[in-house]
Amino acid sequence: MSTPVIEIRGLTRDYGRGRGVFGLDLTVEQGEVFAFLGPNGAGKTTTIRHLMGFVKPRAGSVRLFGQDCFARAGELHRRVGYLPGELALPEELTGAGMIRFLAGLRGWKDTRDAGALSRRLDLDPRQPIRRMSKGTKQKVGLVCALMGEPELLILDEPTSGLDPLMQNRFVELIGEARARGATVLLSSHLFEEVERTCSRAAVLRAGRLAAVQPMEQLRRGKSRRYVFTFPDPQTAAAAAARWPGARAEGVRLTARVQGGESLPSLLALGAEYGARDLETHGLTLEESFYQYYEKEAQP
Amino acid sequence: MSGTLLRRDAALAWRPFALIGAVLAMYAGVVTSMFDPELGESLRMMMEAMPQMFAAFGMASPGSTLAGFLANYLYGFLYIALPLVLILLLNSRFLVRWIDRGSMAWLLAAPLSRRRLAAVQAAALAGAVTLLCLWIAGLGLGFAAAMFPGELEMSRYAAMNLGLWALLQLLAALCFVAGCAVPDSRFATGTGGGICVLFVLVDMLAGMDEGWQTLRFFTPMTLFDPVGLADGTADLWPAAVLAGAALALYVLGIAVFRRRDLSL
Repeated sequence: MSTPVIEIRGLTRDYGRGRGVFGLDLTVEQGEVFAFLGPNGAGKTTTIRHLMGFVKPRAGSVRLFGQDCFARAGELHRRVGYLPGELALPEELTGAGMIRFLAGLRGWKDTRDAGALSRRLDLDPRQPIRRMSKGTKQKVGLVCALMGEPELLILDEPTSGLDPLMQNRFVELIGEARARGATVLLSSHLFEEVERTCSRAAVLRAGRLAAVQPMEQLRRGKSRRYVFTFPDPQTAAAAAARWPGARAEGVRLTARVQGGESLPSLLALGAEYGARDLETHGLTLEESFYQYYEKEAQP
Repeated sequence: MSGTLLRRDAALAWRPFALIGAVLAMYAGVVTSMFDPELGESLRMMMEAMPQMFAAFGMASPGSTLAGFLANYLYGFLYIALPLVLILLLNSRFLVRWIDRGSMAWLLAAPLSRRRLAAVQAAALAGAVTLLCLWIAGLGLGFAAAMFPGELEMSRYAAMNLGLWALLQLLAALCFVAGCAVPDSRFATGTGGGICVLFVLVDMLAGMDEGWQTLRFFTPMTLFDPVGLADGTADLWPAAVLAGAALALYVLGIAVFRRRDLSL
């Protein structure tokens, strides 16, 4: 078997008061697109900092391409494209200046495919970074991480600040990276994005790995909340009584549907009682994941 | 690849460098123009009237030579305080601010070892200090040639400048170590600058009063005696000690930076 691209063994880093990561084990093989999920403070960024060699593990080991992430950081980073969760681009540069600076640090004579990437992300990199919006800065960060077609992409919250159109472009770009055999590790909150890009996902909870699942299984566990508004509270309550697990609050009824098989009958119920409005809420990926995971854990 | 980083440093450095350089030029011009070989006598009388005041600012014996005069009025205090401001600004721009703002993540994510990264930034700081010292030495030469041709004793003037260079390197290296080692980068500039200012204050205090003489052993400023170098009564070996200590501190800073955790 070939060496895994990412190999984390018993990684422990205690920041006190339950924060940090504790005994993390994780392996990502070449060509995988791997999602890292979990609420804030779950240890996603801490793990990524270890992978990038910014911090040294207190216990356990963290390896990229079979080499120690801290000791060999300089050499390893030739093969890695990284997007920090906190962008912190130098404000005094223009976007293009930042791209040229990083290309120069990599020892390149030019900026390779950065121009094409900028066009695809609809980015004009000539303006100063300090005048850019959050989303535009994010695009600069993405171009910096993706340029030069690195073998491994480590992306911390890559789509934060991007509008839906650009999120689609991002999904395309990740698809292309995957097609050329690159390995991707990304952290995200958005189910759709992960669903469309990733082959496996891991959930971190309080610094521990709650579970690692292939995307296919995760998709089956996906659930949504539907909120109907009825003309009066009595109708809402009557409708709620006919749907297991539904809650009525005033004129509103909240029901949950998993997997989508029972959606037609829920819609029929709403129609029968004369619903005036319908809202749908996708659960966050963590919620879906926990829900799925908890269900699996039951006997 | 370190050329890219050095060019970035230069872009960040030139404005403060030009500003401090201009202020130094103004002082150098004004002070040099005040030199008057005959004035030595009246200054001596003033100094006898309030010796502590003069001594505090390193103006121990107003020299009658141009080198001694410059040593007194520029090298004792101004040429240390103003360059220190520049050192703090540059150390912040080269190192501390990158960490503090989190942009260090981009540098660390580049294919550049930490040792290399820190060494390039130390070299940038040491290089800027050297350039500043060359500028300072050049100012003296220029103004002396324009106003008092032939008055400046070259070998002693060179010794003064070498001594100043060594002292400023030590202060810069101290700030660099603070930037590398202080865990909370918000306090790094304050720590480095605070230690340097403390050294200057201790030196002033030690110069003011006989009773405070022992304080001289607690500040590296004692190893730089511009007036002594100007009148030929001081040796140059203390400058070698300062330069050696500076080099050791730069190396220490790089070693600390290599090992530290950077939660970016």
